[in-house]
Amino acid sequence: MPSRITDEAFEFLIARAGLSLSDAEKAELKDVCDGIAAMAARVRQPRGRMAEPALTYGFAEEDL
Amino acid sequence: MAAAIPTIAEAARQIAAKELSPVELTKACLDRVHKLDNELHAFIHLTEERALAEARAAEALIMARGPSGPLHGIPIGLKDIVDTKGIPTTCQSKLLQDNVPDADATCATRLANAGTVLIGKLTTHEFADGGPSFDLPWPPARNPWNTEHFTAGSSSGTGAAVASGMILCGIGTDTGGSIRGPAALCGIAGLKPTYGLVSRAGVAPAAFSLDHIGPMAWTAEDCAIMLQALAGHDPKDPASADRPIPDYRAALGGGIKGARIGVIHHFHETDNKVGHDTQRGISAAIETLRGLGAEIREVQLSPLQDWHACGTLISITERAAAYEEWSTTRLHDFGERMRSRMMLSAFVSGVDYVQAVRRRRELRAELKAAMADLDLVVTAVQPNEAPKIDAVPRWDTFQPPGFMMPFNVAGYPAMSVCAGFAANGLPVAVQLVGKPFQETTVLRIADAFEKATPFRDKRPPIV
Repeated sequence: MPSRITDEAFEFLIARAGLSLSDAEKAELKDVCDGIAAMAARVRQPRGRMAEPALTYGFAEEDL
Repeated sequence: MAAAIPTIAEAARQIAAKELSPVELTKACLDRVHKLDNELHAFIHLTEERALAEARAAEALIMARGPSGPLHGIPIGLKDIVDTKGIPTTCQSKLLQDNVPDADATCATRLANAGTVLIGKLTTHEFADGGPSFDLPWPPARNPWNTEHFTAGSSSGTGAAVASGMILCGIGTDTGGSIRGPAALCGIAGLKPTYGLVSRAGVAPAAFSLDHIGPMAWTAEDCAIMLQALAGHDPKDPASADRPIPDYRAALGGGIKGARIGVIHHFHETDNKVGHDTQRGISAAIETLRGLGAEIREVQLSPLQDWHACGTLISITERAAAYEEWSTTRLHDFGERMRSRMMLSAFVSGVDYVQAVRRRRELRAELKAAMADLDLVVTAVQPNEAPKIDAVPRWDTFQPPGFMMPFNVAGYPAMSVCAGFAANGLPVAVQLVGKPFQETTVLRIADAFEKATPFRDKRPPIV
């Protein structure tokens, strides 16, 4: 199945990440990057704006 | 010969009784290294002279005053992402092939303080990710049960070296299964402790919030002995837990009658259906635990795919942040597999990462609720016995989801124990998962299981 990402978006994301890739690497990456989009969709749940991430923390004694 | 390779517990008892010399034990391990490692590639760097000097020093002390503890004079290895002062620490990467740290990682210090003898630094997947790789300065480790097969990783050298008796135990690290995976495929015991129980200071990061350091050894009892030396607060690790450390070995024995064990059937029977021999091993393990007096129940969690997506997005992003400088300036000095992982980070947005971390909180809450009236949950470690080393998919991130990542996402203690052998002679395993900081329960049940089954009597034929 062809990748859903456009060539322009793909090139933008690679450049923003600072990656210098060969054409072969880009072609291979484009074949699999939809898998990341599928994972990103899977972690999105109807949870509302108040749901906290796991890394929110309180100050420990040693921080005070 | 299997009988020639003692467990730590056996060796410690013999050393204390002055029936076994640490020098002779170390020489026996080094002999196995010289005999086997040309095939197994479990070591990147041998510290033979240092090992013999440490063994002689240990022996002198033991003869004068007796052993300081059960690890005194015991030969070990350290995964080569663990910093060792004055000894190369390469992370199996061209990027660090000349790196010699000026300080030990905390876990290395603690094992040294317990009197262990360092045999050498062990093969890993590059920066504890990807693998097996054939384009790095060192070859990948091979499975001692059949050298055409994969060890799993990333603690690949530790798995191979412990199984073949080149060391009695070693350090592994686990970000998505890197202790438990090679423990399973190499037929040994491996414990990923609770997040924060063992210091990460001085160990190269794979993903900060998923990384765990832990013991790999032949038996659960040996893992308990090793964990005793490793566990405890370390101000150099910001995630280090500051809480009392129990006597892990003293918690063994006494049976498991009445233990409440949940089985996450859907993980390994529906979400990622395991192979026949693995299923047979898991089913038999559950019946063994039932026969020992455990009460077995069913547990339902979110699909394995949810845990995998959450952990993978966090892992890819945290790794990319840690190694961003090299990914933008020296990307092609990474091996192909590690480079592939780094490239994927371009497609994870900041919002994706935070959504994954929000999902993490929900998944942890779900596991906590599911285990409220349980002592342990059980599932698979690996979907099958070890594949051929040249048949591991490069983009394994997108293969069916693994069974280990859920417990990195949750931070819960999880252990792989050998559950028998497939028709082709390769080991299969079962995963035992406890509540946070309840390693005593995990180890007690693992130890009882091992003692009720014959699987610890058989070493790889190559030995």
